[in-house]
Amino acid sequence: MNETTTLTELNGTELAHPSVPAVSARFPGGILRHEVVAGDEHIVYVDPGQSFAILEWLKTDPDQFYNYLSDVTAVDFGGGRPLQVVWQLFSIPHRRHLRVKAELPLDALEIDSVAGLWASANWLEREVWDMFGIHFRNHPDLRRILMPEHYAEGHPLRKDFPLRGRFSRAEQTRRALEHNPEDDYIPSQLEQGRAPQVVPWREIQQPGSTPSEGQES
Amino acid sequence: MTDSSELARKGLPGGMFGEGSPTFLTTKVDFVVNWARRNSLWPMPFGTACCAIEMMASAASNHDLARFGMERMSFSPRQADVLICAGRVPYKLAPVLRRIWDQMPQPKWCVSMGACASSGGVFDVYSMVQGIDTIIPVDVYVPGCPPRPEALIYGLMMIQEKIRGETLAEHGINRFEDPDQAGHPRADDRTIQALSGPFGNSTKQNRTSGFVHTATTHRPDDRNP
Repeated sequence: MNETTTLTELNGTELAHPSVPAVSARFPGGILRHEVVAGDEHIVYVDPGQSFAILEWLKTDPDQFYNYLSDVTAVDFGGGRPLQVVWQLFSIPHRRHLRVKAELPLDALEIDSVAGLWASANWLEREVWDMFGIHFRNHPDLRRILMPEHYAEGHPLRKDFPLRGRFSRAEQTRRALEHNPEDDYIPSQLEQGRAPQVVPWREIQQPGSTPSEGQES
Repeated sequence: MTDSSELARKGLPGGMFGEGSPTFLTTKVDFVVNWARRNSLWPMPFGTACCAIEMMASAASNHDLARFGMERMSFSPRQADVLICAGRVPYKLAPVLRRIWDQMPQPKWCVSMGACASSGGVFDVYSMVQGIDTIIPVDVYVPGCPPRPEALIYGLMMIQEKIRGETLAEHGINRFEDPDQAGHPRADDRTIQALSGPFGNSTKQNRTSGFVHTATTHRPDDRNP
């Protein structure tokens, strides 16, 4: 309730953001909270279940038209508190910023991907998956982007991740050197004159995958 | 001093130190081989961070590495003699660094340039190699963050001094690289733990702890005269 009063108080003032009342009128149950930080930066907390519909409307509605996705990231505050997924939107025709957040409890780190709306979300969501372990539904190619693909120590930007990693330095060194950089691509496809083509990562023959199948047979 | 016509009659042409001197020199094979190796060290630049900027400055006209025999930066490891690892190396890059080192022909030397390559520097974190000597053998560590070009040149001249003291008789022992070890860490697990673990003050360092001598560092001998 406090948030709605803040919202109505801001209406008509120079601090009001035109998208905030519009989106809360369009999605009455989808907008959980509204915050204004750092003067005039508006944050809208949305229901994780409706995040895709809200973001799709924010992108396509002609009065909003947030056609530029500046960033997708996440925040972990630690202490068992929910992780926040952050979408930083910008509308080029209206010249407006809007920050949208969704809070995910630690036991349900799953949310809809917006890679179908903004193509730039593809790699950004891969980074959030890599660093925080948040699973994006319907992402076309959700795999690690910064850490090596065979990285087995977890998601490093989580607050419960130890700074020096979970394995010993010797184990980390051994695992790093066991990785063949050419497993991630086929060198002949990177030759000059051919279009670089990334191999779908599930089709790559992983060195450790075949022995386990051999043991079963 | 005899007459030149008399020398010509004896069949002795004029040598390099004047007429009548011999046209050959006797010397040790070690000296000649080391002289040749010392003065034609081609660096393989492996620059990943700000240290690489200083490395480029050392190769540029103001400092001019070519004066000392590093005539050309060899951007292929196949024609390189000394690997200059300049900058931080994350674990994702570790197999690349090891492969470049394996691709270099022997004899080869390695300079670890800067704090991050030598010890991980301030990046004592999950993603960073804590000193490239856990992956490849290192001959000279150049301290600094980043080191000035003079420091890199000094480090390369220390490699030259190191070559000066090598002999072919011991060379096979000192410089031998087991082909089966290609792509593997340089040392066993305990050595890697000892090399890459937090040392000295780094586990409990803060702004007020001050310098505590840990006896883990010692100053290398200065250049031979």
